[in-house]
Amino acid sequence: MSLTLTHYLILSVILFVIGMIGVIRRKNLLMLFFATEIMLNAANVALVALSSYIGDLTGQLFALFIMAIAASEVAVGLGLLILVYKKQGTLDLDNLTLLKG
Amino acid sequence: MEKLLYIALFAPLVSSLFAAIFAQRKKMQLVGIVASLLIIISFLASSALLSHLLSGGAVVTANLMDWIVVGDMDVKFGFMVDQVTAVMMVVVTLVSAVVHVYSNYYMEHDEGFNRFFSYLSAFVFSMLVLVMSDNFLGLFIGWEGVGVCSWLLVGFWYYKPDQPREVNPSISPSWAANEAFIMNRIADLGLLVGIFILYWNLGTLTYSEVFANLDKLSGGLMVAAAIALFIGAMGKSAQFPLHTWLADAMEGPTPVSALIHAATMVTAGVYLVIRANPLYSQVPDVGYFIAVLGTFVAIFAASMALVNRDLKRIIAYSTLSQLGYMFAAAGLGAYWVALFHLAAHAFFKALLFLGAGNVMHAMDDELDIFKMGGLKKVMAKTYLYMGVASLALAGIWPFAGFYSKDTILEVAFNEHTYGIWFVLWLTAGLTAFYSFRQVFLVFEGDERYKKYGFHPHEAPNWVFIALLPLLVLAIVFGWWKEEFMEFVTLILPPYEMSEETHHVAWILILLTSAIAIGGIVLAYIKYANGLKRDPKIENSFIYKLLQNQYYIPVFYDKAIVKPYAELSDIAWKEIDLEMIDATVDGIAKAIEVTGDKSREIQNGNLSTYLRWMVAGFIIITILAVVSVVIK
Amino acid sequence: MSNILTVLIFFPLVAGLFGFLVSQKSIRVYGIAVAAAEFLLSLWLWFSFDMKNAGMQFVEKINIIPEFGISYYLGVDGISLFLVVMTTFMTLIGIIGLSIKKDIKNMIITLLFLEVAMVGVFVALDVILFYIFWEFSLVPMLYIIGAWGGEKRLYAAIKFFIYTFAGSLVMLVGILYLAHLYQSTTGEWSFALTDWYKLQMDLDVQKWLFWAFFLGFAIKVPMFPFHTWLPYAHGQAPTVGSVILAAVLLKMGTYGFVRFSLPLFPDASVSAILPIAILAIIMIIYTAMVAFAQKDIKQVIAYSSISHMGVIVLGTFAMNVEGIAGSIFLMLSHGIVSGALFLLVGVIYDRKHTKLMDEFGGLAKVMPTYATIFGIMTMASVGLPLTIGFIGEYLSLAGFYKVSPIMTILAGTSIILGAVYMLAVLKKTFFGPITKEENKSLKDLNAKELTALVPLVAIVVWLGVYPKPVLAPIDTSTKALVELMHQKAQTKEAKATILVSKTKEAK
Repeated sequence: MSLTLTHYLILSVILFVIGMIGVIRRKNLLMLFFATEIMLNAANVALVALSSYIGDLTGQLFALFIMAIAASEVAVGLGLLILVYKKQGTLDLDNLTLLKG
Repeated sequence: MEKLLYIALFAPLVSSLFAAIFAQRKKMQLVGIVASLLIIISFLASSALLSHLLSGGAVVTANLMDWIVVGDMDVKFGFMVDQVTAVMMVVVTLVSAVVHVYSNYYMEHDEGFNRFFSYLSAFVFSMLVLVMSDNFLGLFIGWEGVGVCSWLLVGFWYYKPDQPREVNPSISPSWAANEAFIMNRIADLGLLVGIFILYWNLGTLTYSEVFANLDKLSGGLMVAAAIALFIGAMGKSAQFPLHTWLADAMEGPTPVSALIHAATMVTAGVYLVIRANPLYSQVPDVGYFIAVLGTFVAIFAASMALVNRDLKRIIAYSTLSQLGYMFAAAGLGAYWVALFHLAAHAFFKALLFLGAGNVMHAMDDELDIFKMGGLKKVMAKTYLYMGVASLALAGIWPFAGFYSKDTILEVAFNEHTYGIWFVLWLTAGLTAFYSFRQVFLVFEGDERYKKYGFHPHEAPNWVFIALLPLLVLAIVFGWWKEEFMEFVTLILPPYEMSEETHHVAWILILLTSAIAIGGIVLAYIKYANGLKRDPKIENSFIYKLLQNQYYIPVFYDKAIVKPYAELSDIAWKEIDLEMIDATVDGIAKAIEVTGDKSREIQNGNLSTYLRWMVAGFIIITILAVVSVVIK
Repeated sequence: MSNILTVLIFFPLVAGLFGFLVSQKSIRVYGIAVAAAEFLLSLWLWFSFDMKNAGMQFVEKINIIPEFGISYYLGVDGISLFLVVMTTFMTLIGIIGLSIKKDIKNMIITLLFLEVAMVGVFVALDVILFYIFWEFSLVPMLYIIGAWGGEKRLYAAIKFFIYTFAGSLVMLVGILYLAHLYQSTTGEWSFALTDWYKLQMDLDVQKWLFWAFFLGFAIKVPMFPFHTWLPYAHGQAPTVGSVILAAVLLKMGTYGFVRFSLPLFPDASVSAILPIAILAIIMIIYTAMVAFAQKDIKQVIAYSSISHMGVIVLGTFAMNVEGIAGSIFLMLSHGIVSGALFLLVGVIYDRKHTKLMDEFGGLAKVMPTYATIFGIMTMASVGLPLTIGFIGEYLSLAGFYKVSPIMTILAGTSIILGAVYMLAVLKKTFFGPITKEENKSLKDLNAKELTALVPLVAIVVWLGVYPKPVLAPIDTSTKALVELMHQKAQTKEAKATILVSKTKEAK
């Protein structure tokens, strides 16, 4: 049995759902961050797989972009997280309600 | 000739404007004199026009200017003086001139002296527009104009307070004025509808063109137009059921009652029917209805006059009753007879009213004839004048009323409408009775007024000279019956009595005279030797019914005025505020509440936001999948 | 002066901006001078107007966004000419009669800006331009009610704004769809009304568009049951606000019917006669009754405005020259008369700070001139012949009689019910004895009030006796309008109902 496009896409969906559940359930901002990374990578898997299936390099190119953005995002994001932790003393989402309308 | 027409028409307008300039000043005798002179000038011009027509001259027409020119509608300020108009003009301006002169006496102590003349002359102008116009819309101008002047003049003493109906059946001058205006407006809608019918079916409103093209109207439309116009006439001429305003209009100063509510304005309805005779002769059924209604009003009004104690109201009811006679004649097709009675009635009724004005003046505006009596000693001249007027009203030979009223009865007989004849005949008796009941109660018998501390005095001599034209005409006008007929039947359809009627005419005359004299004699027996009141009669149901005008004003109050006010209140408070506006505010409220509720979504918790985001994502995904599947 | 219309629109704007520099003391004179100059300009427009020409005159057209066919496109014809003249005139009268003390400078500048919007609405021939002016007119009025109003002024102002705004948005959707339709039919964009007139539409499309426009106009008129904002707006607005609101702003709605609904959607208009006539009749009778129930004089006149607007709507949908020309004339006469009545109510409000009828009684004795002018305006309001009020009402009813005699009789009750509530006001306020001691010392009209009111009285009588100078251009343009509708009409029913006048030439 060889790996077909379907397998890759199923993997991508599974990863995405894991990430999404993480986004919904996790209360820690850091964990939420990781969950987002998983979702981004799920998209990457789908992009690369589809790209090779269609034979168009744009998809892989796009995946590279996403990786680059994700990397810089981690850098900026983690920095912000540390700042938030320093100011608020917690990373628990239930306590971070400054946006309340 | 055109010049004369304009002089006759605009002299009263000038008079009105002149008086209006000084309307807010204190009394100025000059205003009264100038106004009277201008009305006399108008009378002279009208007489000149009449004599021009009498000597066989052509109908005078004049076009002042365009008024409403829109689409196919082309209405001008057009005027026309034909035989009917000339008679109306002379009657109107003559009575107006006398009333103007008389008002110098009657209103001499009133602070609104100048204002009064302004209104009075404005009325004369409106009335002249009404009778001189050559189209229906011009007539409508005058029609509404006299309505407003009547409103102004009835409410002349606007500052008097409202009183309960038991104290003053007319409540107050301003109330009576509004009642008159609104009732007339109801009828005016009918007139307006009649005008619409004529316009859309004939494309014109000018009398001559309308009447020349009447055959273009289908039968149904002709009946509709005739009825609609007659509804208009019913309002102005106070025919049942729009009659209550006339008696209440007696709140106005007495010269006003004489001019507007006896001699001229109230006869405008009769004039309209006479003017539209080509239409009404085509629809005899409507004519018959008019005659029956007129007959009914004649006896209906006369019955109310029998028991009334109010000097002016008695005369008002008699006016109503005489208007009924006129409509009866016009409805039966004897248009010239109606016009003849209109003119005769104008003279003797104005005379009667102005005489009553003298009595009121003498009695400090007291109106209750039970408080008078024996006034002949101090007011012999007034007694004479009112006596002559009452004789004319009662239809006693050789006074004017005899000729005109008798002809109407002959017409009723000639048409084989014996019911109408009988009722009118009976009414002639009632008329004689109540007129002389009033005259005797006022002038004969014991001097009851002394008890109440009145010091009556006779009017100055010049007043009687001013009234002389009316006195003379009330006596001699009837003698010109043949000449009058020849003159106006140049344009009105002639009315020929049958051979048979000619034969019995003398019997009819005898019968009518007998009942009239009988009425007078009865009145003399009962009232000439003082007032003997019989509580049994006065408490009887019929007496009460008549005294309260068959309870019709009360009925209108309870059945129309009050429910309308209550319904209006409901419309405002229950419907407008509680339903319509509440719905509008409700919608606004719903939007606000929705916003308020959905605010909770934004609770500041990132994880809630993320959940909503995911929910949105899922919905969009599902929509995308569904749309792909459907395609 | 070929671009007189541009001058008419922008002169008050520029003058209003300069007004900020004028001192508080002299702003009143400045305002009167500007409004008078504007009025004279509009008179000049009238005198140089070609009465025989039914089409648009003084046309100006500059492309703004050619890609979408949006242009600066102005013009007047007999229908809009007098609305412009009346706007400038009533603004002048309003400023002369201004009695507020607070922030008079802001008030005058606001009024001048309002004038810009009102003149703009009546002369704009590009629909986008029209819409801009239409919406812009709300802002100054919102400010006038909100800043100078009575106790519930914010509620009233916001209600007025949001209600009319909501209606206009539906109209905007209609406008955009119509533009799209034009583009897909002809292949190019245009928002010029004269281009749109040529467009033939399917009956279904017409119906939808008709009701979309209807909502915008009906709320402005205001037609039953969208009328409830008006009593609040009038009740709270200062005198000058009520004058302008009643005289001009309401007319924008009925003007919209004549300018847009009838010529753009003739078939839909004809098929809408019945529902609209029913609404109009309800409006006439029902609001006349509500007016009778009021205790506040100003509310009586506010509701009477609605009642009269019903007659105007009825005349507009008569689909013949008599009715439409009558309704246009009635717009003018109602503007003059209701404006005058609101000014008159303002007079006693300034003296006694109440408008309740119970507080008065017998005023005719202490304020005779005031009572006389009030009486004249009342008579004009109830449609007495030889006053301005009669001609429009008569023609509107006469026109609609052709459509339905029964409904005309029902609507004709307005002449009765109008007399009922107006005479009730006269009786309660002016007649009878003076019941309140403090009313005995009330002062009659002063010079300022007389200057504002006497011209109105003169117009009421002049146009009542000799309406021809106004009626003739209206007649000419209305004939052309009806002709256009008749040509465009597709259904047999519409062809039969839209009645082209037999008399072609204006006399």
